[in-house]
Amino acid sequence: MARYARSEGILIEAMGHLWAAFCPATGETTLLNTESVSILEVLEAGAADEATICDLLAEDCGVDAATIAAQIEGCWPSLIEVGLVREVRAARTMPG
Amino acid sequence: MSNSPDSDCIRALEDVNPTVFAKALASRGVFLDVGAITLHAQSNSDLLALQLQSVYAAFPFVDRTDWAEVHVQISRSTGLRRWIKPQVILRCDGQQPFEPFPADAPLPLFEWGCNWMIGQRLNDLLLLHAGAVERDGLALVLPATPGSGKSTLTAALSMRGWRLLSDEFGAFDPDSGTFRALLKPVALKNQSIEVIRDFAPHARFGPEFPKTRKGTVAHMAAQADAVARRHEDARPGAFVLPKWVAGSPTRWEPLAESMLFGALAFNAFNYSVLGATGFRAVVSLVRQCPGWQLVYSDLDDALATIDAAWSEVRRHHQEPSR
Repeated sequence: MARYARSEGILIEAMGHLWAAFCPATGETTLLNTESVSILEVLEAGAADEATICDLLAEDCGVDAATIAAQIEGCWPSLIEVGLVREVRAARTMPG
Repeated sequence: MSNSPDSDCIRALEDVNPTVFAKALASRGVFLDVGAITLHAQSNSDLLALQLQSVYAAFPFVDRTDWAEVHVQISRSTGLRRWIKPQVILRCDGQQPFEPFPADAPLPLFEWGCNWMIGQRLNDLLLLHAGAVERDGLALVLPATPGSGKSTLTAALSMRGWRLLSDEFGAFDPDSGTFRALLKPVALKNQSIEVIRDFAPHARFGPEFPKTRKGTVAHMAAQADAVARRHEDARPGAFVLPKWVAGSPTRWEPLAESMLFGALAFNAFNYSVLGATGFRAVVSLVRQCPGWQLVYSDLDDALATIDAAWSEVRRHHQEPSR
């Protein structure tokens, strides 16, 4: 399963019911919803796969992981597009 | 006699003999201190000389100084073309960023060239695409897209007790936390020209230029008081996003923080160039200032609405812990 990591040095500020986020790596700014920011908060502790992120958020919010997965499903494209989150490929291991 | 910025007695451009001014412009050029920066204009177009004297009338005449941030040269075309369809060509830093203009329209070319250069160069300031005026030491900034009535409203405010800072740039200095003047003539287009002529018959205008790429353009000169105070910065006061809609009643609605953030960050000339500095600057502006959307068709009513809200803005900035 794909793992995701949060980019270094991103800036996030509350803007009313949304959040403004700046990614130094790409120079991009975007407005995020709370679900996207919650993903970034989880990833602050280190890279994680989507299931782990959902489990952590579900535990925190007191709902089941499937509900969380449905809520955050649409967040990934914009997070990845502006560079706030990047996919981390697992290192290949030599056979045998 | 040459005028340097530290001369004891500096004449305003309108007081300089046109022949003397044209000669200075054609030789070493003249320097226009517009507040945050100095423009260096050099041209062999006598028409540009006259037009500059008209719309920069109250600016000091300076023909030598040590420094200018922006250098713009306007030259009459050479060769056979000058007899048939004469043109003027703009050059800045060895570039020719625009197509030539008709020889009788050097001022719009000069103004667009300067604005383009300012947008390219001034990366120590966050340059919002906005009109900006000042009252009570506070800046009222009007960010907007073209055609929204920004220049019309800015011009009208500047004729009703507000000090003009800029028609085109909300120039925010992240270091000082203040707005700075980039005081150039207000470029009015099409029906806005007559609207402001009717609204402020004593306003000083340069010539009208029909058939430019933006339609008919005319430039309104900044008032002498605004020129005299162009080095006075203004603290962030409020943001108003104007939108002119024919026949609409005046509508005045508070802006959500996220809307204001987007209007500032995504409508600035150099936001992306400034990186994290630009992000922090916009965040600080949103934190400090209230913002409204203004939909209007009646200029007097729009100004009355802004005036009425201004006491709220002043109170907002007087409260502690802002």
